[in-house]
Amino acid sequence: MQNEQMYIKESQEIYDAIVVGSGVAGGWAAKELCEKGQKTLMIERGRIVEHRKDYIGENKAPWQQEYRTRVDNLLLEQQYKIQQQCYAFKDATKHFFGNDRDLPYNTPKDKPFSWIRANQLGGKSLLWHRQSYRFSDYDFAANSLDGYGNDWPVRYQDIADWYSYVEKHAGISGNADNLPQLPNSDFLPPFEMNSPEKAIKAKLEALFPKRNLIMGRAAHLTKPTELHYSQGRVQCQARNECQAGCSFGAYFSTQSSTLPAAAKTGLLHIAPDSVVHSLIYDEQKNRVVGVRVIDNNDLSQREYFAKVVFLCASTLGSTQILLNSATKTQPKGLANSSGVLGHYLMDHNYNANAGGDVEGFEDEIDRGRRPTGILVPNFYYQPDAKRKFLRGYMLGGSAYRENWQSSQYQDGIGVDFKNKLKQAGKWKFGLYAMGEMLPRFENHVALHPTLKDKWGMPQLDIHCEYSENEKLMMEDAKEQMTVMLEAVGVTNISAKTSDKPPGLAIHEVGTARMGRDPKTSVLNSFNQSHNIPNLFVTDGASFCSTAPQNPSLSFMAFTARAVDYALKEQAAGRL
Amino acid sequence: MSHNQGDKSPQTHNKSRRDFLNKIGLLVGVGTATSLLGGNAISVAMAYTPQQDSTSKAGKLLSQAQLIQLKAICAQVIPKTETLGAAEVDVHGFIDNQLFHCHTTAEQQKVVTLLSNIDKESNAQYQHQFAALTATQQVELLTQIEMGGQSFKQQYRGDFKFLKSLICFGYYTSEVGASQELRYLAVPGGYKGSIPYKKSDADWGSMGLYY
Repeated sequence: MQNEQMYIKESQEIYDAIVVGSGVAGGWAAKELCEKGQKTLMIERGRIVEHRKDYIGENKAPWQQEYRTRVDNLLLEQQYKIQQQCYAFKDATKHFFGNDRDLPYNTPKDKPFSWIRANQLGGKSLLWHRQSYRFSDYDFAANSLDGYGNDWPVRYQDIADWYSYVEKHAGISGNADNLPQLPNSDFLPPFEMNSPEKAIKAKLEALFPKRNLIMGRAAHLTKPTELHYSQGRVQCQARNECQAGCSFGAYFSTQSSTLPAAAKTGLLHIAPDSVVHSLIYDEQKNRVVGVRVIDNNDLSQREYFAKVVFLCASTLGSTQILLNSATKTQPKGLANSSGVLGHYLMDHNYNANAGGDVEGFEDEIDRGRRPTGILVPNFYYQPDAKRKFLRGYMLGGSAYRENWQSSQYQDGIGVDFKNKLKQAGKWKFGLYAMGEMLPRFENHVALHPTLKDKWGMPQLDIHCEYSENEKLMMEDAKEQMTVMLEAVGVTNISAKTSDKPPGLAIHEVGTARMGRDPKTSVLNSFNQSHNIPNLFVTDGASFCSTAPQNPSLSFMAFTARAVDYALKEQAAGRL
Repeated sequence: MSHNQGDKSPQTHNKSRRDFLNKIGLLVGVGTATSLLGGNAISVAMAYTPQQDSTSKAGKLLSQAQLIQLKAICAQVIPKTETLGAAEVDVHGFIDNQLFHCHTTAEQQKVVTLLSNIDKESNAQYQHQFAALTATQQVELLTQIEMGGQSFKQQYRGDFKFLKSLICFGYYTSEVGASQELRYLAVPGGYKGSIPYKKSDADWGSMGLYY
């Protein structure tokens, strides 16, 4: 990053590799390619964001922010109508979200989908919630057991070592809980639980076999290793203002972790402000040879060339590029002989929550802002025909003391009122459900026949909705949360389901799925196109199912594994 | 009541940034750390800064008379104690600005209507506008309005709760409210699940405003 020649605009060079995108997947692809000696061009549609220097919202107290953390109505209305629905959209982070005015897409009126965008160097790796969980064989086998979607062409043993590999670099905090449905990572120490959480864990695990309450595993440096220090990263300071950017480099982002590693090789080049329009395909050789790009600012066109292309442009971004790369002989989109490109779009379903009061513990409080919570891993990981729905969910949550934000609603004014608000309030404990979403053909994206965005890119039509299965699962989550909260002694419980549209879990995956059979899948088990050998898609588009776990750690592992495979194939003369 | 452990030096205004500088300075050197923060100066300058004289003229939404009235309400809801109160830190001026920029017209109207209703009731009961009442009368009237009792409508209670939430937000996100009345940890340094707490300890002023 210190290298001024790293950023390029015009180039006729044939790079060893092009990586489209700079988020979690793109950063890993670039790092791996560079470290394996490949001269790599990372293409980013948005502006440059430099680590530390461009974290303009970082460490501003509320009174230092224009509207004390909130955002001007007019700006929201005109530019951030969709993005503002994201929990992390605040004054300190808004510049890391896409501008809805420039990023139109279409949905049927009765099927909203909230597409959260982060179009700048680093992408959503700057904004993510950092929860990091391995998938297990229960997840990889789920599609094959109930027939929804296609079978993942990988099993845990294929990816386990790659999880370890990326975890050591990224830094994942957590406890070795030894759970079959949630394999251990190579952990840094976990964050602490507070006392009510410890007490609830003890009661819950005693009363409910197979239901565990663990510390959320998160990509934070609780105890940095030498490797992390050498990256310029230090210990997490528990500010929990991560999405504004972290100059301590304490959470994994492209900027803090993969980009410096890639840059260190001297082989990384970055083309910022380059909106990829389509892939350039050589029909005779059946290879992609580069990408066509529209300049983000002046809308001029240019091309970049490489021997291998990694699409890491986000789930919907990568698929949009493939669809828009259709040729006369591949009219349904490039690498789409199967016809499933664009189909089987999924997100998680975060539509149930519950909480209540915790008695006692009044003589203690926690200190600092823990950037993760507790987790109840999926306890429905074994299929059971007696359940009303397929698959399962995890529960996230935390115990916390109420503060002025809730105690302000009590009656009274004056000195007594002020003094009450000065004190920490009651302990509360809350949970929310994170449900798996079934892969369904009808949930899909396609290019709009006529509407384009300002770069001339055909707009996406998104057809995606939760099915009855997902709704029944949230009803069950509400019931089970209530049962568990009652059992552990939480009082004044309120539990509800909500109706947030898909997209808002920001775990959209699928639309260019992996599979063993080229007739029913876009990519093989190494994220390589079945049709075009030197084309790889390693972001969420490649997923066959959501599993209940947050996907980013798997993006990392699959990407690193795909690069390793690509270079072996190249060495064997097959790319 | 114990004093907070917050920094009360004249530089308190920069406390959050100083903590950050000290910590990040260890990582990248103080010179670099300072220049990192340079880029933020412009946006900080745009933040609503408490004014001494926001009742000297009309605001963005409220008239001068309404601002004077709102200041009197602020003074009664969160009065001056060992720390300054809501009126002293210009929560009334902040509310005018915040309502104008960050709230719906319906919410703006709710406050305007409430202020008008408070004066109406004040005139009916005491033959004076609210701002001219004695402190005791003001407290009595606001308490009646909040409780929605007597001749008052239930709507007053809802509207007053809303105004009170604006006053609390304005106060506890101000520098005085967050870092002197409460304890503000800009850079906690790590997370501790449990430390001793007694009722005389001020709560954290740095929780729940982020994610």
